[in-house]
Amino acid sequence: MNIEQLKEEIRDTNLSYLMLAQQMIRQDRAQALFRLGISEEVATIIEKLTSAQLLKMAAANMLMCRFRFDDEMVWNLLASHSKDRAVGAGIHASILMAGNMNTYQEAA
Amino acid sequence: MRPKSIIDEARQIRVASDLIHLGARLQVLESETSLSRERLLKLYKEIRGESPPKGMLPFSTDWFMTWQPNIHASLFMNIYENLSKTTELDEIDAVIRACQLYLEQVKNLGHEPVLSVTRAWRLVKFFNANMLTLTPCKKCGGHFVVHTNELTDDYVCGLCHMPSRAGKTRAASAAGCGPDEEEDFPTVH
Repeated sequence: MNIEQLKEEIRDTNLSYLMLAQQMIRQDRAQALFRLGISEEVATIIEKLTSAQLLKMAAANMLMCRFRFDDEMVWNLLASHSKDRAVGAGIHASILMAGNMNTYQEAA
Repeated sequence: MRPKSIIDEARQIRVASDLIHLGARLQVLESETSLSRERLLKLYKEIRGESPPKGMLPFSTDWFMTWQPNIHASLFMNIYENLSKTTELDEIDAVIRACQLYLEQVKNLGHEPVLSVTRAWRLVKFFNANMLTLTPCKKCGGHFVVHTNELTDDYVCGLCHMPSRAGKTRAASAAGCGPDEEEDFPTVH
């Protein structure tokens, strides 16, 4: 993948991410905050962006979204294919992910 | 007591119908809205096409301490805390939305929902009354539901330290998704 292709991919990803985020916030604000893991202030800004602004922001050479969970435990649980999965690895990961955001937001 | 304004009444009817869609009992509706019992009954029949179940609500905090309910209650409570911390929602709206998110996640994972909206609502009341609280597990750092004032200095959650028969219900083995009977209890890393 050359640099031009890479930039195009980043732009496409950014644009779909921003548009999806905006739609989610407009549809159900509270649930969108949970799903996106963003603060109320950021949500207000995204909600008000015009299409022109979205396009402009998407064209940056950096991704607008990033990995939310920097907890090794969460990744291990999500990636596990073993029999634990049937019992509770998935739900364990869900609990950690829902709780992780609490601590993250407290720290922020 | 009758609702004073029509807009407020409309809001209450929306809350009530959201709760009925989720399967809430009539007592929950009566406590969360000021609509009359007759109107709630009518609404219930209109949405579900049947009369609401009768009888007392579950009232024990101990149910939330058993293995599987504890995990589901903890998931719900983490979502609920998250919603009520990040947004300015009425308590009942937060319960409704947290319940929807909980059901969605559990179904995604292929589990049967264990926590009903009535139980979830009771759980929030127990938290408000300071009878239950969340405590971090020493091993995974996740937050889990425990009795208030319980000694939790070295609390380890039910998922880090699984009881040997965990998840081996008759339904699970019939569906073929439970662990094999011969194998040792699973460990979560």
